[in-house]
Amino acid sequence: MATAPASLTSSKGLRRRKRTEKILAVLATLSAVLAVSVLVLVVWAVLRRGAAAFSWDFFTKSQAVFGQSGGGIAPAIVGTIVLIFWATLMAVPLGVLVAIYVSEFSSPRSARLIRTTLDILNGVPAIVIGIFVFGLLVVGHGQSGFYGSIALAIMMIPLISRSTTEVLALVPRSLREASLGLGVPRWRTVVSIVLPAAIGGIITGTILAVARIAGETAPLLFTSSIAANSVSWNASQPLNSLPLTIYTYSESPSPSDHAQAWAAALLLMLFVLILSVTARSLFAWRQRRTGATGG
Amino acid sequence: MTTLAAVFVVALVVMIVYEVVRQAWPAIQHFGISFVWTDVWNPIKGEFGAWQFIVGTVVSSFFAILLATPISIAIALFLTELAPKWLRGPVATLVELLAAIPSVVLGLWGILVLGPVLASDIEPWLNKWFGWLQVFSGQPSPVGMLNAILILTIMIVPIVSAITRELFLHVPKDLKEGALGLGTTRWEAIRGVVIPYCAPGIVAAVILGIGRAVGEAIAVAQVSGNGTTIQRSFFAPTNTLAAKIANSYQGAATKLEGDSLLYLALILLILALFVNGMAQVVIRRAEKRGVL
Amino acid sequence: MFTRHVNRWKLGALGILAISAVAAGVLASAASPAPNRTAATKITGAGSTFVFPLVSQWIPAVGSALGIDLTYAGVGSGAGIAQITARTVDFGASDAPMTSDQFSACKGCVQIPWALAATSIPYNLPGLTKQVKLTGPVLAGIYLGQITTWDAPAIKALNPGLALPSTKITPVYRSDNSGTSYNFTDYLSTVSPAWKSKIGVGVNASWPTGVGGKGSSGVSGVIKGTVGSIGYVDIAYALSNKLQVAAIKNKAGVYAQPGLRGIAAAGATVKTVPSNNELHIVDPPASSPKAYPICTFTYIILPTSSSKAADLRKFVFWALTKGQTYGPKLLFSPIPKVVLAASEKTLKQVQG
Repeated sequence: MATAPASLTSSKGLRRRKRTEKILAVLATLSAVLAVSVLVLVVWAVLRRGAAAFSWDFFTKSQAVFGQSGGGIAPAIVGTIVLIFWATLMAVPLGVLVAIYVSEFSSPRSARLIRTTLDILNGVPAIVIGIFVFGLLVVGHGQSGFYGSIALAIMMIPLISRSTTEVLALVPRSLREASLGLGVPRWRTVVSIVLPAAIGGIITGTILAVARIAGETAPLLFTSSIAANSVSWNASQPLNSLPLTIYTYSESPSPSDHAQAWAAALLLMLFVLILSVTARSLFAWRQRRTGATGG
Repeated sequence: MTTLAAVFVVALVVMIVYEVVRQAWPAIQHFGISFVWTDVWNPIKGEFGAWQFIVGTVVSSFFAILLATPISIAIALFLTELAPKWLRGPVATLVELLAAIPSVVLGLWGILVLGPVLASDIEPWLNKWFGWLQVFSGQPSPVGMLNAILILTIMIVPIVSAITRELFLHVPKDLKEGALGLGTTRWEAIRGVVIPYCAPGIVAAVILGIGRAVGEAIAVAQVSGNGTTIQRSFFAPTNTLAAKIANSYQGAATKLEGDSLLYLALILLILALFVNGMAQVVIRRAEKRGVL
Repeated sequence: MFTRHVNRWKLGALGILAISAVAAGVLASAASPAPNRTAATKITGAGSTFVFPLVSQWIPAVGSALGIDLTYAGVGSGAGIAQITARTVDFGASDAPMTSDQFSACKGCVQIPWALAATSIPYNLPGLTKQVKLTGPVLAGIYLGQITTWDAPAIKALNPGLALPSTKITPVYRSDNSGTSYNFTDYLSTVSPAWKSKIGVGVNASWPTGVGGKGSSGVSGVIKGTVGSIGYVDIAYALSNKLQVAAIKNKAGVYAQPGLRGIAAAGATVKTVPSNNELHIVDPPASSPKAYPICTFTYIILPTSSSKAADLRKFVFWALTKGQTYGPKLLFSPIPKVVLAASEKTLKQVQG
């Protein structure tokens, strides 16, 4: 190894540099500590205040009449489940099909166009998507859970497409070439060979997309906010949702509303956490299994 | 069939832009471009202008990213260089979890936890020691610009730090070792080699963080105080494009007000797409140079 | 080995799809659990948060008495008018009377006064032993940003013997388009020429100073959380959140309370109802010494032509009569007879 140039080994300079290094190391550590502390603060607040409001009533009852405390958020829980269900049903086929197009069938130029389009779609603020769906569908027809799901689906499509393209790219070309070499038509190759190999990644991507939109409020503000105070599985009517409930209760003066908001937030975060952990372990499991198939 | 899907997605984006422009068109015709720099929002007299919301959006996002960038880079450095190996995984996971907190929950925390602390402790302290700065003068308030900036910072940090961490992890080892071999300290190696190497990526991450902050409607609506004028003090209420739309769109009393809100939405869309586009340009250029 | 692996995944994927499809079908066709729901009509309304406390009492009562499944969302008077204009709901509710432009945009709507209550002036000053007294011009001064501390001479003069602190006043206003704002600005414009020329009357204003809260709930929340704040909100919210309210000087020189007597006295000053049912009872004449000066009627807005006309008429008739009995404990005073007559007459215009 070459010896250090003379100017760098003057002891005073070296001591100063080492001190700078130590200071900056301390600053960097402090920042990490700060970030983790904020996270802990928020999660702890949600955990402590939310768990206190958990009760059987909370999960099964509807909102209490004005002025009375108690009641629950059962309609919001069911509503969120239904909204996510329809949004996923709409977004996954579209997202996967677009990804297949980009990775299997398109020319490099159209691939780039689609990718740019998806990036643009990803960059549209959620509130603008809400306005778009409102102006196009809600006006004249009324709100509905479907319209809310459509707004959510629009947000999911770029996420699902991106993760699907990545996972399709991991499928080894040898697989495709072998199938084509055997005379299997292009589309069948994709459906029977490529897709099944990528299904793990697609599921992971979907789970992450669901975790992302589960907490979205803005797309639902104008599309599914005027909902009955009762449990309903019917998406053709507007549905309550956990994020909107948290939003409304957070601005209320009533402490019992606040308690329910914390509890709903805890529920939402638990849901998102479980999804993220599931996605991550699926991903790790796939990585371990990955040999020739790439998923 | 896949072609159909791809065409549909392109059509969707075109439709979104077209719809927002179309719905804003009456206001554009009525006010012209001067709407952008007009500072008034008077529903009674029918005078509207976007300026106070643009200022609110820019100021809150700017200071949020100002706070978030050094913190995010420092966190990324901590996770790649300083932390003992057994700590890296868990801390990285924790920071990612911060990204998973829905914005409405952060807003809830901002109103009920951060707000009171700001009003009773932090803002009076800032006022006492830095009150000669106009931004820290004025009446402490639980909601306002400062609360919004802090909440936005908390939102941006996970995004920027996650991307920066990825970038640091992908720096070629020989580049770093070369610098260390020349006798630099670790920090000097980082400052002189790693950061310049990752600079385009960090810039892109920062720009993406700005995009996130600009588009945030709900959490900002919860903690901004819904101000109606541009104030010098950070303690005072403020308002942003996205939050104003979230608060007022459904209830516009006159057609002109509704159209003006859609004009706001158009400005927001242009702003967000511009920021997003810049990030894409930086990324593409870095990819071409082979550094990403 | 290769084909077996692929087949297993394919079957798995197909299985998931199949189960999802079945689940979708089951979910989509599942009805709500309550047994008599299938025959009930659903009526959806949106609008004023001012009247929300009363309507939320009505919902279970209307369900059992009339078999109507009522949904009401307090999104603000402005949003209520917008929603019924777009026919995204079956009725709207607003404390602000509709303008002629809004009537034409609504294409055949009528407004019917169906409740009467007060806009109280709550404040957050812990430790005060007596109620704060205020006048209209002083309120206007506060909201114009001219009176900035609680111990300002103008306020001290009205409250001799009350130890007012030097805390800064934070006026709280509605950030969304609100009928309560309309009522409040209507009152301020009547008693303060400065307010009338500078700001005016409306569901939202270019508030010179203060903090905004969304909905009556939001305003109450900000007041509760900000020491030194003052705001305007339907008395039911101030009551249920145990906020102190100010006594406001009326035209007779009496410091009136936003209680049932004060509200009823204000309502009784209505002698005739104009054809569009628009009523203003702010700052009533001195011949009503007990009247609280910031009261308002609140309206339901109905389309004259609706597929649910029969049920809407049933519901509104019930609200105008039996529904009024739910009011007093929330400090909604029953609507006076002359207004009831006008409302019922207008209701007849709602046809299928």
